[in-house]
Order: sequence, then structure tokens, then C-alpha cells
Amino acid sequence: MLQLIQLFLRFSSLFVFLVLEIFCFLMVVKYNQRQSDVYLNTVNQFTGFLDEKTSQVYHYFRLYDENVRLARENARLFERLTNAGIRDTSLQDSVFDDKQQLQYLFMPAKVVKNSTNSNHNYLILDKGEKDGVVPNSGVVTEHGVVGIVRKVSKNYCVAMSILHRQTKISARIRNKGFFGPLTWKSTDAWMFDLEDIPKHAPVAKADTVETSGYSRLFPKGIMIGTIEKLSMEPGSNFFSITVRSHQDMSNLQHVYIVKNLLAKEQEQIEEAVLQEDE
Amino acid sequence: MNNTIAINFLRFLGLVVVQGLVFKNVGNDWLQFPYLQIIVFPVFIMLLPLRTPRPLVTLLGFGIGLVIDFFYNTLGLHASAAVFTAYIRHFVLRLLEPRNGYNANYSPTAARMGIGWFLQYSSLLTILHLFFYFSVEAFTFVYIADILLKTVVSFAASMIFVMIYQLIFNPLD
Repeated sequence: MLQLIQLFLRFSSLFVFLVLEIFCFLMVVKYNQRQSDVYLNTVNQFTGFLDEKTSQVYHYFRLYDENVRLARENARLFERLTNAGIRDTSLQDSVFDDKQQLQYLFMPAKVVKNSTNSNHNYLILDKGEKDGVVPNSGVVTEHGVVGIVRKVSKNYCVAMSILHRQTKISARIRNKGFFGPLTWKSTDAWMFDLEDIPKHAPVAKADTVETSGYSRLFPKGIMIGTIEKLSMEPGSNFFSITVRSHQDMSNLQHVYIVKNLLAKEQEQIEEAVLQEDE
Repeated sequence: MNNTIAINFLRFLGLVVVQGLVFKNVGNDWLQFPYLQIIVFPVFIMLLPLRTPRPLVTLLGFGIGLVIDFFYNTLGLHASAAVFTAYIRHFVLRLLEPRNGYNANYSPTAARMGIGWFLQYSSLLTILHLFFYFSVEAFTFVYIADILLKTVVSFAASMIFVMIYQLIFNPLD
């Protein structure tokens, strides 16, 4: 303590000088317009730089929350698309109401496990019974179709990937209406086969293939890919079409589980007719 | 002793009046040439007795600077320059110390130390004071050329009056 006082006494004039000078500068900045402008400008440049850097770091740590938020937002936007709903007024009415009733719900989910290298590939997603996932729901991303939910546990569900020999997705050619099942017969994770397109259909290479909406799993109009190869087998009435998918199945992270709210109704009425016919 | 305090007090008042009421208007109102600022009040700091404690010199510099600021309506600007000048007075004195040292009872005036010595002493303090003052006025070194030009012009003008003061009054303290 004594040394501290000695030190202070020894440099007392320096201390007085510094204290007074700081006091003067505070006054200069506070009471003089020009100097305070210069001061604020300089300080803002400096703090602006710091703020930018800290917010970059801050944003980096917020990325997870941000991803969750964006996934929810995407799901909400999917639901707003016209192909996710049905019109609840019929066109017979002279008053045309464009109001839609929601038919498909989109739920963001994360891929927990994925494979692409076997003949029967499955995905495990982090949503289950407690989130309201039911079997036979479609799984999509913004790039295309991913698979179909098969089994649901409390926290997880297992989806059959489109890279599964038994997966069949009802697809059609955009704007042309011809439809057929899309299957995976190749060993290439990008290539799929579209069957049952009749020979008279005006199909060309690079036509877009999308979901038809006939299958209760997916809303219509979800992009699958483009036609890569088109050939006609002799003696067959159908084209054999190879479709190049837009979806990279090997780096999936965020997907959306599609829940069709009218699936049960559609299924019941279909079965009723089938039973009658038998 | 009392005499010295009285003289310095009167000098304080006189310089404040001259600086704040007369020289303040020279560059800005009369000549319309802001590069020329006649600043003579640091003479008060220069002529404080040699035995004055250094912290007191700094405090007195702050005092006269603040009073000048009231006249100039630039709170803190002249005070910061005056505090600076008062602080470096000690170093300038040490730099110009004669071979046989100072007589601590004297004030560093022209009459005591000689006109040549006083010219060096007051020139050094004045130019440093002006440079500091114009730097704080600009508050950035972006306009360093402007600051130096103002310093040189104002230095020449101010020194005339600083020397005139010594020659007319020729104060011992």
C-alpha cells in the first residue's frame, strides 16, 4: 500500500495530466458538435466492425435453431402450395370460390440413418408416433421424392427409400398427363424407370417427371426428375423410359413427412368398390 | 511570495480578458481567415514560478484553458491543449536547462533568463501548444496538412504578441 502511494506521489503530475486530459476530451466530445461527429463516426466504424464479427460468431452458434426454424417454415410453405390442398367448393356452382381445404400436412424431420448401397435401402427419421407420423406417409424434400414411411415407433419411423426394389411411385409426365409407376431397377442411385407410358404419348427427352397424386402418398406435382433416355422395345406397346432423379439420395439431412388427411376416406371408398366387384 | 501569487493572478485575468475578448475575434471575425489564430494565454503557464509543483502547474493550465473555453464556447478544447502545455513545460525546461541550473525562486521570464533563452522556450511551448490545439480541434489526423498549416501560421502571429508582452512589461516574476 505504501509503495502504491509512493508510486502515485512520484508520478503525481502524470496522473493529474492524464486525468485532466481525459476529462477534457470527454468535454470536447460531449459539448462540441464537430468533434463529437468525428468521434462518433470513428467509434461507429470500429464498433461496427466488432459488431459484425461478433454477430457472425453468434449466428454460427445459432445455426441449429435457424435450421429448425427454416425447416418449419418450409413445411408451412409446402402446405400453402396448391397441390397440397383440395378445393372445397365444386365448380358446378356459379360462384367460384378459390378457397382451399388443407389435404397434405408437411412435417420437418431429420434423417438419422440412411443407406444407398444395397438393393433394399431404408431411411430412419427422427419423428415418430408422438409426432403423429402414421405408416404409409410419403417422404419428400424440396428436390423430390425420398421414400415412403413403413413402420413407426414412439420416437422414430423407418421409411422405405425410393432406392428399394419394391418401391413404386405413381408418376406422370408434367403437362402431358400420361402416368405410370416409377421403379428403381438400375444400380445407379440417380436412375429410375418409368413404365406404362403408351407409345402414342408425345414424350421427349428432358421432359419433367413428377408425382401424379393418384397414390394417396404424395400430393401431385412434386418433382422427381427428367427423362434421360427414351426407347421403344420392339413388340411392346409402351416406352421404356429412364428418369434421372434430381434428388441426391446420398447426402440427405432434412426431409418432410407428408401426411394425407384424406387418405383414410379415399382408401375406404376404393376398397368398398373393389369388394363389390368381387 | 504573496507578490508572486498576486502577479500571476493578475496575469491570469489580463490574459483571459485579452485572449477571450480581443484575440478571439482576430482570425474568425476580423480577418475571416481561420488559419490564423492568435493564442497568447499559454504565457501564463510559461511564466509560472519555477518552484511551482508540477501537478499544480497542470491544474492551473486546466483552469486557464477552461476559462478560455467559456469565452470561445468550445468546452474542453483549449483546456486539453493547456493541460498538455502545462504538463510538457517541465520537460521543455529540463531540455533548455542552463549549465548552472535554475534558480528555483525565479520565474522563467526574459528578464531573468535572457531574451534569447526565452525566445527558444516560448517558441517550443507555443508551437507544441498550437499543434496539440489544432489536432484536437480537427479531432483526426486525416487533415494533418491543414493542422500543420494552421500551426505554422498561428505560431508566427502568436509569437509576435508573446514577445511584445515580454518587451513591454519585462516582468521579473
